[in-house]
Amino acid sequence: MIFLLLIYVFIFIINVPGLIKRKEWRDLTAFSILYVIAFALGLLYVLDIPIPSPMKGLQHLIVDILGIEYPQG
Amino acid sequence: MNIEKGKINSQQLLFIIAGFVQGSVLLIDFTVGITEHQTWMVILAALAITAPVILSYVMLAKIFPGMNLVQINDMVYGRFLGKFISIYYVFFFLMTLSFNIRDVGELYITFLMPDTPFIFLLVAFTATCAYAVSKGIEVLARISHLFVVTGMFIMISTFTLLIDQMDFSNFLPFFDLPFIRIFQGIHIVSSIPIGETVSLLMIMGCLNKTEHVVKNTFFGILIGVVSLLIVSVRNTAVLGRTQSIWTSPSFQSIRLINIGTVLTRMDFLVGIGQTILIFIKCSLLFYVLVAALSQLLGLKSYLPLVLPLAGIEVIIAATVFQSPVDHAMITQNAGIIYSAPLMFVIPPLSLLIAKIRGLPKSERGKGT
Repeated sequence: MIFLLLIYVFIFIINVPGLIKRKEWRDLTAFSILYVIAFALGLLYVLDIPIPSPMKGLQHLIVDILGIEYPQG
Repeated sequence: MNIEKGKINSQQLLFIIAGFVQGSVLLIDFTVGITEHQTWMVILAALAITAPVILSYVMLAKIFPGMNLVQINDMVYGRFLGKFISIYYVFFFLMTLSFNIRDVGELYITFLMPDTPFIFLLVAFTATCAYAVSKGIEVLARISHLFVVTGMFIMISTFTLLIDQMDFSNFLPFFDLPFIRIFQGIHIVSSIPIGETVSLLMIMGCLNKTEHVVKNTFFGILIGVVSLLIVSVRNTAVLGRTQSIWTSPSFQSIRLINIGTVLTRMDFLVGIGQTILIFIKCSLLFYVLVAALSQLLGLKSYLPLVLPLAGIEVIIAATVFQSPVDHAMITQNAGIIYSAPLMFVIPPLSLLIAKIRGLPKSERGKGT
């Protein structure tokens, strides 16, 4: 948990002051959204909360719903 | 306006493509379980089948010079459909990168450093790739030949050291597998190492000249495919039918090297070679991902997105599959099926539409 916080403080420090100084608000917004997503995912991982896998969802869609699959064995 | 200001030449593109395909050399293990001793044939067939598709990627780069994949999609399909297709590509880059980062983690945790925490390996590797990406495409292009040469050296030297243990009757009988397994094998090889080069359309816009791009692209693909072939032939000749039961046939065959009890335990050599080859592939994929996303969002630079995306990639890589078996099962089915339109349908279709609509000349004409 401490490592996670340290990493994200480091990421914040090396990106945000430069973006504010150059007044790149669009870049700052994109950075902030991804930063929050990354931190939230990291927090879920550290707290051992299951994170849904996008590939499991795709597997369900392609194999179970659409029925597209190579035969096994 | 292209997000990248750096320029590369077509010779550097050759090594980028060769390194990118070589980076998947460990992933032929996905095919070995299905096509067994006929994997070498599947690799050659995949190259022959994907050659026209690769040509469509190169032709797109040639007729849209200085433009990347996101810009090409916008121009060919219009703003809304183009953006939708680009989002599909970004998802593909995001997932492919996470799979490759996970491959490195699985490689280390299974064979080299079993007591090291998995997440630490993923963080260390992704941070290194993020650093390389932050230096820009020119730096990656300048070092790519070193990785390709090192990878080739390791593959050829291990092949030579194992010649005394090779039994070429292991390749027999030919054509004894059901067609569907051969077809699946060809689909895997044409998607994972070869078709994934569609992502390099994000880089081809940085070419300073597009004169020799067709020749150099195919030469790069050929170097990569020859590397896959060397590894596949080595593993089949040394391990025979047992290669399909090992987690990593490459490691198992290298472990058999024993030259006068001096040259033994050479599997570390494969570990090092594999790490540097996946490093160049992951760095290129990471660059492609940040460049595509920044282009899509209309940002001035891709640099602010590098570290947050690295954080996202680490967590996706750590959680996307439950085990190496789960990884192989999903990749052999859903993994190659969902990405097929991006590799085999959209680029040739874009080329056809561009030809019919006379792009990009008519667009330029509108602008002037």
